Amino acid sequence: MVRTIPAVLAFAALSLVGCASSSPPSRPTARPFDDVRRVIVVPSGGESAFAVVEYSPEPGRTFDEILKWISWSPYQAVLRPAAQLVHRGINWALEADRAATATSRLQGLSPRSVVAESVARTLEATGWFDEIRFVEREPSVEERRRADAIVRVAVPTWGLVRVRDVEAGLLSGFADVRGQMAMPRTGVVLWEESQDVTSPEQIPVETFLHDRDFARQEMIVVLERAGQRLANELLYSRSAGR
Amino acid sequence: MSERRPARLAALVLGVLAASGCGVKTAGLDVRYPEVGVNRALLAAAPPRRVEMLPVVDRRADTRRIGTREGGDIVTSRPVTDIVGEALLLELKKNGQIGTADRKDVVLAAAVEEFRLDVVGAYSSTQYVGRVVLAVTLADPRSGETLLIRRYVGISRRVVDKDSDNGWRDVMDVALARTMHDFATDPELASVMTRRLTAFNP
Repeated sequence: MVRTIPAVLAFAALSLVGCASSSPPSRPTARPFDDVRRVIVVPSGGESAFAVVEYSPEPGRTFDEILKWISWSPYQAVLRPAAQLVHRGINWALEADRAATATSRLQGLSPRSVVAESVARTLEATGWFDEIRFVEREPSVEERRRADAIVRVAVPTWGLVRVRDVEAGLLSGFADVRGQMAMPRTGVVLWEESQDVTSPEQIPVETFLHDRDFARQEMIVVLERAGQRLANELLYSRSAGR
Repeated sequence: MSERRPARLAALVLGVLAASGCGVKTAGLDVRYPEVGVNRALLAAAPPRRVEMLPVVDRRADTRRIGTREGGDIVTSRPVTDIVGEALLLELKKNGQIGTADRKDVVLAAAVEEFRLDVVGAYSSTQYVGRVVLAVTLADPRSGETLLIRRYVGISRRVVDKDSDNGWRDVMDVALARTMHDFATDPELASVMTRRLTAFNP
């Protein structure tokens, strides 16, 4: 029995190690930039893709059930990947249809611009900077010469996502955003960050798809929240390591 | 026969440990806010104030768990109020504010309104959404007047492959970090702290 004690202790230690969270959140890429006083914020990146992500387990779950019934079939190895492909295809088509409807409701709304403007407003409200300017297009040579740093804001994906398992038909707005602060003449990157931003609220997807004003208001709130989030991370990194 | 008993006992202990450790995948999630990641932020722009931080209150609707996964409860290894309280103290100290119970300039009361991990199961992947909602109230220690009420909401969303067992474990860490960063970069909070007269220098 005495010989088993070290083994038991080792096993206990190993099982508990696995229960700790895997790693602390990664630190943002940043170096101190306390001396940055004049900043230009500009929308950047390509088009933003609107997505409706419902994470539906169907029809894949049903395919799995059918495959269980015919477990004797010699074609199992082929049928399973085929079922996965069909599942993905059906859901892609359903979600793409809803995304197309939603996009038509949101025409004229530029997610990059809304987020970039929100970043500029949030930075300005701190009083930490002498000048914060939001410009819709790439800054001119003269504007670059005057600025200490340029913040570029991109929104690769935005849309609606299901955030709880039990509430079908209720989705939350989201925006996956990227920000980068670089010095204009040297191109030195002072800060870089990506954020997945999700609305705390859930909204009925059908109302979103049929009420244009409601859809626009909801997405503007989410995009502004994304801008604040990005700006807060920038502010938090300003004195990183000091 | 009696010689077999120690071996059986050892096997039983091993079984219990496996079940209480990671065998039940949802037990004792260690949510962390590491000091090494804490920066001086906007809150440091306010002059140092003597802050009494009251014990963090748990105002969640369900205080027994932070979520469910694979039929089991997800619980934290330490009380949620301790996790949040320690994170707040780290931010206050790093930003030059002094935690104290006497001759205080301001009283900070915090309440955890949500601390949850939602799991959305898809066909071949799982989405995890961590959410921390923290209500913070600043009050005048002498008159009891409320100076500021703020809510900070940190949300983190991650999709992991169904086969992955560890990709979700730091989702709550990220949600907590975002809440704390919003706290430390709140210009209104810094402004109220700046306006407070110190007990030493009225």
